[in-house]
Amino acid sequence: MPRQRVVMLADCQSFYASVEKAEHPEYKDLPLVVAGDPERRSGIILAACPIAKKFGVTTAERLGDSLSKCPDLVIVKPRMKLYIDTSMRITQIYESFTDLVEPYSIDEQFLDVTGSLHLYGPPEKLAELIQARIQAETGINTRFGIAENKILAKTACDNYAKKNESGLYTLTKDSLEETLWTLPVGKMFMVGNRMTAHFNAMGLTTIGHIARTPLDKLKAMMRRKFGKNSDINAELYWRIASGIDDSPVTPGTHQVAPTTVGHMMTLPRDYGTLADIKVVLLELVELVCQRCRSKGYMGHVVSVGCMGADYDRPSGFNRQMKMEDPTNITNQVYRAAVTLLQRHWDGLPVRKVGVSLSQFSSDDGYQLSLFDLHREKSIALERTTDAIKQKYGDASIMRAVSITPSGQAQDRSAKIGGHYK
Amino acid sequence: MRKKLEGNGLWESSRMMLPEHKAAIIDNNEALKRRARTVLDEQEWEAVSRSVAESLQLRLPITLRMFHPLEELTIIGIVDRVDSMRGRFMIDGEWFEVKNIEGVTTSD
Repeated sequence: MPRQRVVMLADCQSFYASVEKAEHPEYKDLPLVVAGDPERRSGIILAACPIAKKFGVTTAERLGDSLSKCPDLVIVKPRMKLYIDTSMRITQIYESFTDLVEPYSIDEQFLDVTGSLHLYGPPEKLAELIQARIQAETGINTRFGIAENKILAKTACDNYAKKNESGLYTLTKDSLEETLWTLPVGKMFMVGNRMTAHFNAMGLTTIGHIARTPLDKLKAMMRRKFGKNSDINAELYWRIASGIDDSPVTPGTHQVAPTTVGHMMTLPRDYGTLADIKVVLLELVELVCQRCRSKGYMGHVVSVGCMGADYDRPSGFNRQMKMEDPTNITNQVYRAAVTLLQRHWDGLPVRKVGVSLSQFSSDDGYQLSLFDLHREKSIALERTTDAIKQKYGDASIMRAVSITPSGQAQDRSAKIGGHYK
Repeated sequence: MRKKLEGNGLWESSRMMLPEHKAAIIDNNEALKRRARTVLDEQEWEAVSRSVAESLQLRLPITLRMFHPLEELTIIGIVDRVDSMRGRFMIDGEWFEVKNIEGVTTSD
């Protein structure tokens, strides 16, 4: 039998806020939040420091709500580039303890330390050591869920380590009965509000209920509720509840070729005319194609999505179509995207637009077209503009429509994930 | 769908990664693979030049370890020509730069 693994999930406490506090020692004892720009509808709390959380400030609420709870709040604009760099520095610290490190999000990473324990002693000791080092080098507090596999490590971190004084918690499989299984289903990984309601309606109110239901019975129950395609989800939930997970900690997991390349953006105001939407559509197509060109892909299928502005009456569409030939030329993809938009847009104001390209093939050979005689020319032009952007930044050269009021390219080029770099 | 239950599927389907973060990780891994040039000392250079000369004059096959930024590169063959003016030599009809040599083993 193979030796039991020791997997940790390390989570950074209030990551963005902690990074800002480390950068601004003067705010150390003040309530601090990182929040987006209210003018551009990204004005929500991205992260709140523990002091701010004591005032009742929570992540994802509106800035105004937080200010009414805590008028002395220090508000900092996000600096996404800095957070990414800090996250990578933390990865490097983890990598000095084990080579098996898998970033799961910007502030959570899996570590498989099975092979390092003979150097450091028991897992808790090692976790303390890593914790101290991260604290000393970056000023960030980390919490560790420790277990024999990834799902238990994640569960241990979310439900116990984050609430512990020490920030450490070891969850063993034989203690599940008294620990995890007593928690309500809503606390389970991958179970959100909707699923909680569904499980409650099925009479499954604790995680233990799911784990103790025989898999076949759970499958039958879910099939009755969600139709015949729910076997896999049933098995997934059952495994999560039972703490069964053989997935390896995979450092190279991000190295795979993508199957789709897409960009999406929430608009600063609702766009109501076709002309307005077409401008952002072109800008998004340009970004998507630029990324495809840099990777040497051509996409065959374009998909366009729009979300209506009215939350109470959801509208919008997400449709795709196959182009005649694979391509990564902006104008060709744009033409197809506009066709989709014209065909499916219902005329209601739009708050979110997205474009993606999929079914890739390599761009070292392409189908000659009888009708498109400018292809070589467009390729040469785009190669040049891409090179300029690469060297001087995305805002260095852009299409004329981007300086019209509906253009967003200029603003977007200064952002990562919708927030300032 | 089935993928969620296999390999690393559960985590790959649920993670939240910024594309910029992902790109930075990939770039970083590439950079780690990049190797630095080995500097040869005089004795090593002497061994290299002797072997190259021997191979050229006696038609003996040699194995040269060459510098490559990303890969492990060795060339095996008989030296056909040496162009000392331009600092290059030819093995099997292909030119290589002398300055990229990192080591030599002769097969007797």
